Amino acid sequence: MAGAALPDLHEDVRLHEQEAADVPWQTVVWNDPVNLMSYVVRVFREYFGYSVERATQLMLAVHNEGHAVVAEGAREQMELHAQAMHDYGLWATVRRSPP
Amino acid sequence: MSDRIVLLTLTRIEVTHLADLVRQFADLVDSTPTLPDPAIERLTPDVYPEDPEASREFRAVTRADLLRRRAHDARVVLDDLARVERVEDELAPVDVSLEGDSIESWLRTLAAVRLVIANRLGIVEDDQDHDPDDPRYGVYDWLGYRLEGLVQAAEQGDTA
Repeated sequence: MAGAALPDLHEDVRLHEQEAADVPWQTVVWNDPVNLMSYVVRVFREYFGYSVERATQLMLAVHNEGHAVVAEGAREQMELHAQAMHDYGLWATVRRSPP
Repeated sequence: MSDRIVLLTLTRIEVTHLADLVRQFADLVDSTPTLPDPAIERLTPDVYPEDPEASREFRAVTRADLLRRRAHDARVVLDDLARVERVEDELAPVDVSLEGDSIESWLRTLAAVRLVIANRLGIVEDDQDHDPDDPRYGVYDWLGYRLEGLVQAAEQGDTA
């Protein structure tokens, strides 16, 4: 998987965790036997702007654990993310963050 | 990065087959079936699997738009394919030029056509055995190969 690493990975993760503390919804992407791994990484990079490392990590979590939380935040925002994932053919759902 | 251009090299016969498949796909997402079509269900999955009512509401509001975007993507692909030069030799390589955001339409459409074929073939598990006598598996694998190449081409376009 080619591509340049983005330098702001840690910043991104930190912001992400901060938001997660006080917002109760998640967009979850589920494993399916059809979508290519490289394609899923590409979608996470293109749509969320994630670095190659983070996008790859999420793709592997989907593949190995069956699903991964790709975003957390307000419900409406998570629904928009799920729609975008559906546009790309990924199997995405929205759920309340587990307590 | 809307000024990027990605070149995809196919053979002339692949261009013909791909256009045929994408036309069928466009017809599928344009159609209003009287019975639920499992392939369409897969393209517009339940967003709240544990809350059918919320899923239904979400779908009622978003599904038509999603299928319209699908139809638009398919049209972009068909327009690009229609611009490919006509050559006598069906096995001759020809370049398809994908400009700006049309690469995203291509990625989404190839991935979606594979999802529809997989749904028709009943592919439900990773590494499921293929029936070598069913020609649709050949089409499915070929689309996967071309999608993989397109993803790589897109990545190179991004970092160039």
